[in-house]
Amino acid sequence: MPSFMLLLYDDPANWANISPEDMQKAIEKYMAWGGKLRSSGVFLASHKLADDVGKVMRGKGQVRVTDGPYSETKEVLGGYYLIKAANYNEAVELSRGCPSLEYGGTVEVRQVDPMMDAA
Amino acid sequence: MNDAVPATADVLVDHLFRSRAGQMVAYLTRLLGPEHLDLAEEVVQEALLKALQNWPYSGIPDNPAGWLFRVARNAALDAIRHRTVVRRDVASYVSTKPDVEVALLDDAALEEQLRDDELRMVLMCCHPALSQDSRVALSLKTVGGFSTREIARAFLSDEATIAQRLVRAKRQMRESAIAFELPAGDELALRLDSALEVIYLLFNEGYTAQSGEDLVRHDLCGEALRLGRLLATSSVSTPQAHALVALMAFQAARLPARVDAAGELVLLEDQDRSLWDQKLVGLGFRHFGKCAEGTQMSTYHVQAAIAAVYAGAEQAGDINWPAILSLYDQLMEISPSPVVALNRAVAVSKVHGAQAALVALRPLVEDRTLRNYYLLPAVQGRLHLDLGDREAAADCFRRALERSCSGPEKRFLQRKLGECM
Repeated sequence: MPSFMLLLYDDPANWANISPEDMQKAIEKYMAWGGKLRSSGVFLASHKLADDVGKVMRGKGQVRVTDGPYSETKEVLGGYYLIKAANYNEAVELSRGCPSLEYGGTVEVRQVDPMMDAA
Repeated sequence: MNDAVPATADVLVDHLFRSRAGQMVAYLTRLLGPEHLDLAEEVVQEALLKALQNWPYSGIPDNPAGWLFRVARNAALDAIRHRTVVRRDVASYVSTKPDVEVALLDDAALEEQLRDDELRMVLMCCHPALSQDSRVALSLKTVGGFSTREIARAFLSDEATIAQRLVRAKRQMRESAIAFELPAGDELALRLDSALEVIYLLFNEGYTAQSGEDLVRHDLCGEALRLGRLLATSSVSTPQAHALVALMAFQAARLPARVDAAGELVLLEDQDRSLWDQKLVGLGFRHFGKCAEGTQMSTYHVQAAIAAVYAGAEQAGDINWPAILSLYDQLMEISPSPVVALNRAVAVSKVHGAQAALVALRPLVEDRTLRNYYLLPAVQGRLHLDLGDREAAADCFRRALERSCSGPEKRFLQRKLGECM
């Protein structure tokens, strides 16, 4: 079965004034969503990325290393999930429950090239 | 790093963030000094946010509270290093503290220390130099872990007003140099009285909220009970504290039975007693037993005793009304008020009949404080109905309906009015 990467983008401003109680509720929603992915056997991995801006490397021959990327949008890539799904439709359906959407974030769904899985 | 989300418990204790937020602020305030309350609140919020950003990917750690404490403490250390306003000795003091938070929840002594921090925090927030509004808002924010918006919702106020109140309260706190240390003697007694007052106010605010209304108002009852127990089980506990906890526990026990499945109001005597929360009733009786240890009879004592009579009756028909009437007589002596007199009149009707109760109510009709209180004409209406005077009863229920009351209360009155026709 193909693998899909769900990239979770959040706008930190969405969390600026959230109360402890609401934070706990948000976490519980993520746990419920992640739990469902795991119990249905489609969950492969998930990682949080560090909050710093990261490094960008460019060029051939002489590689330039800069801080960034400084995205045009306010959203930052918070982390990712790796799941199994039959096709894009199914992956999108599984991502619908992702609480990031409810809190104004963005989920980018990308299929791992099937050639990778075939190998 | 493990690729799979660890199969830890994916459920958090109810209100864990809210209650631990208060505890962490108290803990850090002890370490940093009360002048850095804002910093303590900031880093605690930061720690909770870190959990929100990490746990969805890593799973909930084995010891969520320990994780939060560690992160908050590290954030405090970072902030101290970057701020010159904090005295150097504070910074070195905090950094030399052993990293004990990880042991949290397993360590009874540490939990005891944290309860003690919270207690000091409550008594600090309830300093008589602060206005009562400020005390209430500050207690909810710093000890209860409520957000400004939640406090505004709970008190049907707006966020800006509450935010302003909190800023003012903190300034007052700094200007009066209120210390984190427990006061002694008369000063301690004064603070305890003030704290009990704040706690009871929180409870009442939540208790008057109707089913279906914002849940945060119901949470006030839980928070009041938690703070009350914190005080009652502390080293500075008083019989009054036990009495207040008993009173709140008895009342909270009845909450599930107060409205029926359709959201309609159910009077105490018609309530399904099997719906009462027996654990809370038990808690009420335990604290009620302890409140008799002193010599002072407070209003909390008498009110708790009244609630205990209700709770102790097997069924509505077994309620010992003469006992309740004599308790209301006592309450009228200690702290007379039109509302107490109104409640007393209900007991009078049970003991001496509706006519006697109507006579007892007569002086209250002129009372300005009850002018817009729907319960006075509502009680009068019931008494007239008991006496078979439908016309007078209908007149009373109509007057009650003209006064402000909640949706379920309104429908209750309309049903009663229907019975008069």
